[in-house]
Amino acid sequence: MPTLFPTDALDGLIRTGGSCRVNVNVEPGFAPGDKVMAININPRTHTRLPTYVRGKRGIVMRDHGAFIFPDTNAQLKGEKPQHVYSVMFEAGELWGDAEFPGDKVLIDMFEDYLRPTNGK
Amino acid sequence: MNGIHDCGGRHGYGPIDIDREQPIFHADWERRMFGMFILAFGGGHFNIDQFRSTIEQMRPAEYLESTYYEHWLHALETLCVENGTLTRKELDDRLAALSKGTH
Amino acid sequence: MSADHDHEHHDEYRPSEISLRVKAIESLLVEKKLLDPVAVDKLVDAYENKIGPHNGARVVAKAWADPEYKKRLLGDGTKAIQELGYSGIQGEDMVVVENTHDVHNMVVCTLCSCYPWPTLGLPPNWYKAPPYRSRAVIDPRGVLKEFGVELPKEVEVRVWDSNAELRYLVLPERPAGAEGLSEDELANLVTRDSMIGVGLPKTPN
Repeated sequence: MPTLFPTDALDGLIRTGGSCRVNVNVEPGFAPGDKVMAININPRTHTRLPTYVRGKRGIVMRDHGAFIFPDTNAQLKGEKPQHVYSVMFEAGELWGDAEFPGDKVLIDMFEDYLRPTNGK
Repeated sequence: MNGIHDCGGRHGYGPIDIDREQPIFHADWERRMFGMFILAFGGGHFNIDQFRSTIEQMRPAEYLESTYYEHWLHALETLCVENGTLTRKELDDRLAALSKGTH
Repeated sequence: MSADHDHEHHDEYRPSEISLRVKAIESLLVEKKLLDPVAVDKLVDAYENKIGPHNGARVVAKAWADPEYKKRLLGDGTKAIQELGYSGIQGEDMVVVENTHDVHNMVVCTLCSCYPWPTLGLPPNWYKAPPYRSRAVIDPRGVLKEFGVELPKEVEVRVWDSNAELRYLVLPERPAGAEGLSEDELANLVTRDSMIGVGLPKTPN
């Protein structure tokens, strides 16, 4: 419901912001060290799964806790809170013939973007 | 969506325009646009995901040819119209009046 | 041409249209009592004059001076940064990543422009534009070269794509010769670019 944001609440807003973290008990499906693959989805609607990582294999480095899921929230279809993980991908895996294949890209992956893999 | 915004790994965008003397805002309209976005967000006009999604749906050429805060303007106009806060006609009429100097 | 490069060129052709569109929507929202223009002024003042990379520099300086603080910073970035009074919009959930002898970190948002405002202020234009966003993940060393940084091949480059709501701050390596400097002196060595990961801190004279 669009409202007028009260000016005397501005200092508080600047200082507190609006975290998208959700403090509910959501069981994480993954843990640091897990080998995962980014799923290959191509929704016409909003997603925060970049094209360049889809179908690629990586390792979970960190569990950041549960956050609002942008893919549903953008469509006003609910917050669907789920864990977000730092997942590490090797440059060689992402780009094929990389000049520095050992360099890494770390991306924050929502649980719905991942599936487990037994691979390398 | 597989939009123009999803540019990680793409080629052809050229060198980075580092511009060490950059001010935070290049023009007064950028200042107003910045402030309006925060207040509209704080006032519940849209959530952050809707905002980003709206920018992603810009015409690709328009996205690339316009500046950063123009993206924000596009999103704010679009979402205010979608919300029913404003109509396209109100925006057009006001723009016309300002252009003529009659507002 | 990048949108960045086009910026000045565009304004020459239609210097007023964008500013009039902004005036139009602002005046309508104000009339409908959905926006207070004084609040816009206050926000602009906060982010143009008060909040900036000098905040992040203090965080880095304290981490350089105080090993216990550094541990807390790397363990829970949000809480440790809040200890110094920095928090809020676009910095609600912070992760600090450390540069070492073996690892160099770089931060990007390939999908838009996500950036840790409370510690670094608003992002520079180049950070928000496709040239950086596209190349940081596929050619980070090429990007670093453009910024004047060349890393030995033994150093691992880690690029963090801030595609969710975590915001990343790079903790640069403390430069040699900085031992014994005060926190204020240390903070003066910390550049904004070094906290994004496209630069290195200054060395003490």
